[in-house]
Amino acid sequence: MISVDGVSRGYDDGARGVVRVLEGVKLEIAAGEFVAIVGRSGSGKSTLLHVLGGLDSGFTGDVTVAGTKLAKLSDGALSRFRNECVGFVFQSFHLVQGLSALENVLLPAAFSAGEGGGEAQAREALTRVGLGEKAARLPGQLSGGERQRVAIARALFNRPKVLLCDEPTGNLDAQTADEVIGLFKTLNAEGLTIVAVTHEDRLRQAATRVLTLHDGLLSLSPVRGEGRGEG
Amino acid sequence: MKLASLRKLVGLQLTRDRRGALSSSFGIAIGIASLVFFVALGLGVGRVVREKIFPVDTSLIDVVPSQLSIGLFGGKLDQDAVDRLAALPGVKHAYRKMNVRVPAVSFYDGDFFGRRLRMGIEVLAVGVDPDFVKADVQLGDFSDPGVGKPIPVVAASRLIEIYNKSFAPARSLPQLSATMLVGFSFPVDWNRSFVAAVAPGPVTSSQLQVVGVSDRGLLAGVTVPLDVAVRLNKSANADAATFTGVALQASSPSDVPAIVAAVKEMGLRVDDQERRMSENAGAAVAITTSAMALLSALICLLAAFNIAHALSAAVRARERELGVMRAVGASRTDIFTLVLAEAVVLGVLGGLVGTLTAVLAASGVDMLAARVLPEFPFKPDTFFLVPAWLPLLGVGLGLLAAIAGAWFPARRASRVDPARVLAGQGA
Repeated sequence: MISVDGVSRGYDDGARGVVRVLEGVKLEIAAGEFVAIVGRSGSGKSTLLHVLGGLDSGFTGDVTVAGTKLAKLSDGALSRFRNECVGFVFQSFHLVQGLSALENVLLPAAFSAGEGGGEAQAREALTRVGLGEKAARLPGQLSGGERQRVAIARALFNRPKVLLCDEPTGNLDAQTADEVIGLFKTLNAEGLTIVAVTHEDRLRQAATRVLTLHDGLLSLSPVRGEGRGEG
Repeated sequence: MKLASLRKLVGLQLTRDRRGALSSSFGIAIGIASLVFFVALGLGVGRVVREKIFPVDTSLIDVVPSQLSIGLFGGKLDQDAVDRLAALPGVKHAYRKMNVRVPAVSFYDGDFFGRRLRMGIEVLAVGVDPDFVKADVQLGDFSDPGVGKPIPVVAASRLIEIYNKSFAPARSLPQLSATMLVGFSFPVDWNRSFVAAVAPGPVTSSQLQVVGVSDRGLLAGVTVPLDVAVRLNKSANADAATFTGVALQASSPSDVPAIVAAVKEMGLRVDDQERRMSENAGAAVAITTSAMALLSALICLLAAFNIAHALSAAVRARERELGVMRAVGASRTDIFTLVLAEAVVLGVLGGLVGTLTAVLAASGVDMLAARVLPEFPFKPDTFFLVPAWLPLLGVGLGLLAAIAGAWFPARRASRVDPARVLAGQGA
């Protein structure tokens, strides 16, 4: 499903010169895996996630996600890839204020090339995350956990092949985080590939594989399914 | 990006930032309102100058004898010269004009449209080829009726306007219309004057009867058939062989420059005083209008800067939201289109409101002018002219100002790096 080969990413940091965030990262993720990427702050976790999701195209090396080679894709092709192949879930939910939960879920449809999913599909996504009854609510009328569920529903709307999560439980209390992690487990059990960047132990334990990034270099956790076993 | 979604997202943003949207749209509305107002005013006043004060026929050339006689033809305007003028390429008709070279006065003592009038006035007269004013003759024939019979005359329409707006009110005389005036007769004594020396011959009397009112009539006098002028000049032993002028009707206005050049080559002069006065007045109006329009355009420019500033701030505040859109599949073009579409709505709204405001203000000024300003010659019913293209221009310029203002913020928005803006925390 995901193949990363020799990916490096650096940023020009003015006087300090180019700061290397990722250095020759190699990675293979099979379809249906639930992978947690861990590491210290600034280790390059989010950068790797953005590279995988086509949000960051300034890398060198080869990245293939769901059969699409991301290197050197045009902006339009990358946008289509993000719209059709991946779903993002962020720590801060990033819902559009002023749009209802349903309209937030429908946001990807605005940028779909084809007909894409309609309202029925958006309602289905909301129902799937347990918010079918709150479709008309505005973000301000939802709790933190509910907002994150709406964000997950938005990420699921176009039936992506991979769900990319950046600290998805970072802004949630323990109970709500458990609910969200439970939702991820269910989605993964249904066959959805999930890659989550996290500091959260419970999310790490829920993953089928844990990868650790340290100063831009990736090391693999040898244990597959350790989280499942403990969870 | 789908149109329905674009509409929804644009509506959402404009609703969320009502104050900013109103401020941006208001700036455009002010600029467009003043632009449309002053352009309409310039067009309206220009029309009055062109059609009422100096009604210049662009295909008509007034040829007069040269003041300095040089060359073979010597600038003399006799029948031979008229024939040569009529034969010039591009000339459709040549209408001869001859001043009645005999002084004349009119003593009027009687009923004047319901008022008693007793007045003596010096009368100037010019004879013209009847075809020159034929279209405006409403009563009988415009030809020499012979000695002892009323002479048909054509009055100048501008003279009636001046009479109605200044002479009549000052003397409590009735207002006249062209229809009322046709058929009116008044006496004239030829070879008599209050001011000029007269010829040794006898004073002859005749009646003048107004048979029409024309823009081509002599402004400060009456226009009579050419044969009448010839007859009167002959009877007073004045020059009855050379003409005071010839009006050349060009086949089209584009022929005029070549005809003017040929006329000058013949040693004759083109009397373009009226035309120049019209052009000067038109130019004065155009310059004033242009200055005001320029000022208005500057206001539009300021409005564009205001939009640029407001949208830049809005884009900065919405970076995360734009980043989310990028994350769910919006391309740079989609984001650019979205921000530009917001400005388009503001521009069209501002343009519409501005144009409407200008039209309403123009109506208000017209109503105020009708009520407050005293009557004066050529005072129009409306000082404004709003052709169909003007509202379109107003809305179009509003749109243009908005797009110009939004261009760089939209570009900046399209280049927001989603990876950067979505990495941070925040609600």
